Amino acid sequence: MLKQEINELLTQTGPGTPMGAMFRQYWIPALLAEELPENDCPPVRVKLLSERLIAFRDSEGRYGLIDEFCAHRGVSLWFGRNEESGLRCTYHGWKYDVTGQCVEIPSEPAIRHSSLCAKIKLTSYPLVKIGDVLWTYMGDPRTTPDLPQWEFAHVPAEQTYTSKRWQECNWLQALEGGIDSSHVSWLHSGGLKTDPLFKGARGNAYNLADRKVFFEVVESEGGLLIGARRNAEEGHYYWRITPWVMPSFTMIPPRGDHPIHGHFWIPIDDENCWTYSYDYHPVRPLSAAERQAMTEGHGVHCEYVPGTYRPLQNKDNDYLMDRAAQKRGDTYSGVKGISMQDASLQESMGPIVDRTKERLVSTDSGIIMARRKLWRAVEALRDEGVRPPGVDVAHQMVRSAAVVLPKDQSFVDGCGDALRVRPGEKHASV
Amino acid sequence: MQRQPTLLSSCARAATAAEARYRITAPPFTRRSSRVIALDERAAAVVEQMQLAGQRWSGGHFLVFDSAVPDDALLRRAAGGTALLSEELDGADTVVMVATAQASAEAASIIGDACAARSIMSAGLVVPEAGPVGEVVSALRPNAMVLVVLQDAADVPEVLSALRV
Repeated sequence: MLKQEINELLTQTGPGTPMGAMFRQYWIPALLAEELPENDCPPVRVKLLSERLIAFRDSEGRYGLIDEFCAHRGVSLWFGRNEESGLRCTYHGWKYDVTGQCVEIPSEPAIRHSSLCAKIKLTSYPLVKIGDVLWTYMGDPRTTPDLPQWEFAHVPAEQTYTSKRWQECNWLQALEGGIDSSHVSWLHSGGLKTDPLFKGARGNAYNLADRKVFFEVVESEGGLLIGARRNAEEGHYYWRITPWVMPSFTMIPPRGDHPIHGHFWIPIDDENCWTYSYDYHPVRPLSAAERQAMTEGHGVHCEYVPGTYRPLQNKDNDYLMDRAAQKRGDTYSGVKGISMQDASLQESMGPIVDRTKERLVSTDSGIIMARRKLWRAVEALRDEGVRPPGVDVAHQMVRSAAVVLPKDQSFVDGCGDALRVRPGEKHASV
Repeated sequence: MQRQPTLLSSCARAATAAEARYRITAPPFTRRSSRVIALDERAAAVVEQMQLAGQRWSGGHFLVFDSAVPDDALLRRAAGGTALLSEELDGADTVVMVATAQASAEAASIIGDACAARSIMSAGLVVPEAGPVGEVVSALRPNAMVLVVLQDAADVPEVLSALRV
């Protein structure tokens, strides 16, 4: 249960809101690099944190993320011409560079160009390619943090794959699904046996044999470590440890030698978010079969409505609900695919779930603690200017883990360095 | 069996903010019956403070583990008086143990076993006071379905409030 004012505090991320101010402390995914594939390619509309923006890649390969609308008459620059190192409004020819600086007003006498142009600058944010993602920082330029160091974005290109999908609900209820380990044994039970990016791991047998999960939640510098344990061989527990790094990064514990995967949830506005889903292997290239499975929508990825980032299964078609598959047990919910099993239920809660009415139980402690940490960090930033956890790149150097440990050993001690990035070393997984 | 077709727009319509106003507002549950039990004196100070703080709780009982007695345990009520663990667990649906590094494994074991025997959900909140908490976490692990290791004792009331204690 959460008071309404706290629910609003955590779910509203537009300009001028406390949570919006916190999101603006981080480098966040703005779009996939594939969306701006070449110099002078078509610009892309981007809405982030309730701000309408336009992204483009100029003739020199520089990326820009600027106010979507021309300073002249408010025309959308999505209709613009991306040419000769700038984005030109097709209404009267005003042209902007990647910093939002107006560089040309053709209708004005030449003598006035430089002085008038110099006074016109659209809001702009940096846009930087790291891995498969274009990242932006929408906060105060004077406090720009170091560039993100997430391992999935820094391993060689052949070892990583990232997709994104439009999720039609507030970012927080999507994130809460990502740190709610207790739903996996139910909602995703079919996928453990059949999904090519999950099946075959020894750990899956522990998952399926013991549905009574015990949890341990430990605070970390960047957020939380959420340990879910099940019985393993005599005297041992099977632990699955999910790191959450503020504000919205999670990494799912691995299975066997499958790639590691996880998510970022980035607010589009208060009723929609982008789910960025990554898969990577720390020490080897993804196989052709793995990459094909990812592009086909297996694992944490999804199939799309052609030509879009909207899932093929969406609320307009009831997520292609298959009651016969539900009854047969092929899928637990009748919805195909891990990602859409999650999204369908999270979206069913409504655009922003009313948390005053929920009835949490102790197995929701990870969610309770995440909300508490977000709330505390938002207030510390708002009231004292304290930089929130997760901005420091050291907090980003995390890994999930799946391990078997003696019953009397804590997962933090038992995993040791396995919960940190160790370049060139394999992840801890069974 | 003929399959009922799913209406194309049903989820799209049902999940809108406009439709949310038709959700039934009657709470779908009765009041929770929680017991919050401090396992040691440092934790007792945290629990007793919550009892005194004037916050409106949802009927939770705030207690302190006093001692083991044959087949039971003696508890001290934060509001005054004593009770047997077995009496307090009668009708309880959730038990939250609050512990610091001073907590004894015996207390956790007695309460955990009693909860397991009665199918009562048990949780543990470990407060970072009185030294390293590794031993108390190990002691609580077999006796609590959920363990949360906090960095700040001020979070205890927030966690309990979220659980509607």
